[in-house]
Amino acid sequence: MYSWMLELWKYRELLFALSIREIKIRYKQTVFGILWAIIQPLSLMIVFTFVFSYFLKIDTGHVPYPIFAYSALLPWTFFSTSLYFGSLSVITNSSLITKVYFPREILPFSSLGVAILDLAVASFLFMGMVLVYNTPITFNLIFIPVILLVEIAFTAAILLIFSTLIVIWRDLKFVIPLITQLWFFATPVIYPLAKIPEKYRFIYMINPISIIVDDFRAVSVYGTQPNWYGLIIAGSISLFIFVAGYIFFKANEKRFADIV
Amino acid sequence: MNSYPIEFLNVSKSYSLNRLKYQTLSENFGQIFQRILTGKKRTLQTEDFWALKNISFKVGTDTVLGIIGRNGAGKTTILKLISQITYPDSGSIQVHGKVGAFIELGAGLHPELSGRENIYLYGSILGMKRKEINEKFPEIVKFSGIEKFLDTPIKKYSSGMYARIGFSVVAFMNPDIFLIDEVLAVGDQIFQERCIEKMRQLAKTKTIVFVSHNLDAVRDICTEVIYIESGRVKKWGKPKLVIDFYNNRARSEKYVL
Repeated sequence: MYSWMLELWKYRELLFALSIREIKIRYKQTVFGILWAIIQPLSLMIVFTFVFSYFLKIDTGHVPYPIFAYSALLPWTFFSTSLYFGSLSVITNSSLITKVYFPREILPFSSLGVAILDLAVASFLFMGMVLVYNTPITFNLIFIPVILLVEIAFTAAILLIFSTLIVIWRDLKFVIPLITQLWFFATPVIYPLAKIPEKYRFIYMINPISIIVDDFRAVSVYGTQPNWYGLIIAGSISLFIFVAGYIFFKANEKRFADIV
Repeated sequence: MNSYPIEFLNVSKSYSLNRLKYQTLSENFGQIFQRILTGKKRTLQTEDFWALKNISFKVGTDTVLGIIGRNGAGKTTILKLISQITYPDSGSIQVHGKVGAFIELGAGLHPELSGRENIYLYGSILGMKRKEINEKFPEIVKFSGIEKFLDTPIKKYSSGMYARIGFSVVAFMNPDIFLIDEVLAVGDQIFQERCIEKMRQLAKTKTIVFVSHNLDAVRDICTEVIYIESGRVKKWGKPKLVIDFYNNRARSEKYVL
């Protein structure tokens, strides 16, 4: 594992260059360009606000529903778009895999780079909303990097596994959007975690994304501390899957050029 | 360096032939059901194609090795094994030094990006640092002769232009071992000559492995040549000797057909 990390470090400039390439290509020849990073969560937020705030009236405490939803959509969109692009990264770059040597994990990791930029762009709108809704800005915002770090670790772990599996079973191309959708409803994005009956709460505790989303909202909108107990569990799960996923990826990596 | 930069010992490599190697879930489930129902283990039939069979050779530091042979003989597979793009089924491969491979036209170049962006991208794919690319950028551009189109997306380029960018970046990345596949064929006469000149220059200090059907070029720059037939080394030696052998063989085969 140490030698993998070392090699990855040696190729860090490639990781950077491929992330830049991803960004350039993804938004090239689109009219809105990088604005898509905002349009996506924004449009979801608008729909959710109508449905869950006007029609179904979900109780979100003193926090207005739009900012309640958007604060969760930020980390969620980070996860879902990474998953969408990242799990395909190995097969979409087959021409690189069969012709050039480099540590292959750079491909899924570089789609994380794009997601980080998207998140940064989408955050501008969030800052605007914080001002408009007069949300108190608290000291607890400093925990956001910790939460994001856990999210990056977890997302990277899932990408390592899915991008490998998709090389072996192309069927997964159709399964991943389905999984993402189910995962979305299993994550407290449109509803608060507090709404879940106590006896089912444990299911949420083993889903790192739901803790990440909930904590992100807690520190940024509710101004509370993250749920440390949950965050430590999420962090440990993420780390464990990351190590397992990395080993799994590396064990299969040598076959990529022959299969893809 | 007391050891050889490249050493192949009894290397074999197979590809499965009659079906793609990736699987579909339905096939896997089908297999499982069949096993449950019949109690027999029946795996999908696969036929292996031995791209390389027990290949051994060494390449010295100051060697320019030419590899010749017909299409599908396994030439490119050797380059892919040297550069660790793919791995052998058996045997051992030792490579000492930084490898610079130019294996296929346009690998690593992205059609939507400009010539400039692609030089940077391809450079970093080959493991160059940004600083290094900055330093060599003018030389690369000059060598490739694409100054005029530097900021045009390369999807508008001709395939000769792709080859120019690719070769130029590899030529200036300063590897210890330089692998070149049959890619010069698409460049025009002037660029081909320039490439061969560059290779001759590099050959003074580097190890070069050169795969080509252009026997004149091989005779011209190689110090040793391997002739490969159906994944086996048929002849290995001085260029003239091996090329004559290959020509004879090709001639006799023509009569058989």
